[in-house]
Amino acid sequence: MRRLRDLALVQGGALDTERLKENFAQVAMHGDEVALFFYSDLFLRHPELRQMFPVAMAGQRDHLVRAIARIVSDVGHLDRLTPYLRELGRDHRKFGILSAHYQPLRASLLATLAYFSGRNWTPQLAADWEEAYGLVSQIMIEAAAADEKVHPPFWEATVISHEMRTLDTAVIRVATLDRLSYLPGQSVAIESELRPRIWRYYSIANAPREDATLDFHVRVIGGGELSMALTRRLAVGARLRLGPPVGTLTLDTASGRDVLLVAGSTGLAPLKAIVMQIARLADPPDVRLYLGARRIEGLYDLPDLEKLAAQAPCLTVTPCVSNDPDYQGECGPLPDVVARSGSWTGRDAYLAGPTPMVEGTAARLTAQGVPGEQIHVEDFGWSEP
Amino acid sequence: MTAFSVADGRLTPDAIRSYNFPSARFGRRGLEEGHVWEFCRLAEREVVRLLNERTSLADEVQRLRQRVLAGPGSGVRPEDAHVEAVAILSRAQQAADRYVADAQDYCRQLTDDATRLGEEILAEARSRAALVLEEAHGQPGLAAGAGPDGSTAQEGPERGDLEAKLAYLRTFSDVYRAHLHAYLDKLLRNVEEWDRAEKETLATVHADMSAPPDVPPLPPLPRTPQ
Repeated sequence: MRRLRDLALVQGGALDTERLKENFAQVAMHGDEVALFFYSDLFLRHPELRQMFPVAMAGQRDHLVRAIARIVSDVGHLDRLTPYLRELGRDHRKFGILSAHYQPLRASLLATLAYFSGRNWTPQLAADWEEAYGLVSQIMIEAAAADEKVHPPFWEATVISHEMRTLDTAVIRVATLDRLSYLPGQSVAIESELRPRIWRYYSIANAPREDATLDFHVRVIGGGELSMALTRRLAVGARLRLGPPVGTLTLDTASGRDVLLVAGSTGLAPLKAIVMQIARLADPPDVRLYLGARRIEGLYDLPDLEKLAAQAPCLTVTPCVSNDPDYQGECGPLPDVVARSGSWTGRDAYLAGPTPMVEGTAARLTAQGVPGEQIHVEDFGWSEP
Repeated sequence: MTAFSVADGRLTPDAIRSYNFPSARFGRRGLEEGHVWEFCRLAEREVVRLLNERTSLADEVQRLRQRVLAGPGSGVRPEDAHVEAVAILSRAQQAADRYVADAQDYCRQLTDDATRLGEEILAEARSRAALVLEEAHGQPGLAAGAGPDGSTAQEGPERGDLEAKLAYLRTFSDVYRAHLHAYLDKLLRNVEEWDRAEKETLATVHADMSAPPDVPPLPPLPRTPQ
């Protein structure tokens, strides 16, 4: 009911969305200074909030400005904006954001906008922003409150095994205190007590188990804020916090098509979870899993996959290595190997791993004539050195 | 020429009051003319200077009066102070961001270099091994074509030699690999040590800075959750 009224309010013209957009465009011209001002203002007024944020704030500022830009551009279209805001509200629970925090945030946001608007700041603009902020925060607070009835803000997890499989790849198994429900292929944000306030997304590498344990494959990213701690310093018994599961790289069980899985490096994690899910099906589709690494040592989970393949006749695993002339099996970059190994137009393809591998493979599949809706992608956002 | 008593080149009321103009030279009446003109120039300069000073002071008074009328209280307005504080905190945050970014870049470089170096060493060891293998394959052919007397007896010890050489190279390659792993491992550990030291330094700096009085406390550094 309230949502409808608010929608009417926005569309009825009480809030001038054009004026808001114009003002934000003008403020945003000041670049990083805007978010810098916002957080400094917030921490000066409420020093106790500083500890909710990491030491380095550059990434945080970037997120903030992107979120505000997204909200402002869609502010007249609550139908588009609401799902995003609800997700944002739920997701911020893991950072410890409570409904009481929205008031200080509002004050600092308005102070920031007023400062950078200078002489252009008017009581009408202030009223517009107040209105918009009220609307946005209400949706976020409501979503968080609804989520609170069903889920904890984050899941406490304890490391029960930690294996360095290669020099830079670890396989970690954790046990969660409360059961975390997810779909195979999804990922969760992880925070370690070794790196407080730094959350990074990792795919869960197994289908849900009876004992509620979860596997993660972590590769050291040079200079990575969290990956180094998770691979090199995490010990059995260490505690982690896991955020709510996210991600859309999940198996289309209704399609009836056979499956092609292409995993580069630790992109194996979400695809292994999907393999395990398929292996449990009564009438599983045929699954071809291509697994790529630069050198033979990089095939860090091959023994386990071969074991899986031995138990599940539907699964064929093809490891390939791109930078190792001595390797006896499939050699070459994953996109090339996949493209030359067959025609995949009749299959659902799931790709996960480093950016060049995911983009390259998707391009080759598209060139083969695989329809776009059959190509599911999880880009890890990094490339191997 | 100036026999006037002046302080810092300026004409003082005292100097005017106590000034004694010398009498004109013998045979003329009145005061010495040159001295009088010189005195007048000095007086004029002083008046101009005072007028200028008065104007700038009037401006200053006007500015201060407006400021007092515009804002409550006296001195710096609180919103000015707040904006200044925001600017200072922002610069401090940027410095912190830069330190972290530099550390990450350094770490990235180190890891990338180590990986590349490791690959190079491995590749070299492999190509050396391949060379020796090739040599080994070539030797029996040479031996076979050596002569009609068919000195096959030579083949035995020569092959033994080569096999020993191969075994040695394989061991060498394994040892090299192990060394490489240990080296890279040590490198990564160094980076972690450095990271830990940095964290401790930050904590110490924070403790030191919270000590002096009359300084608002810095925002607390993030703590490890309980």
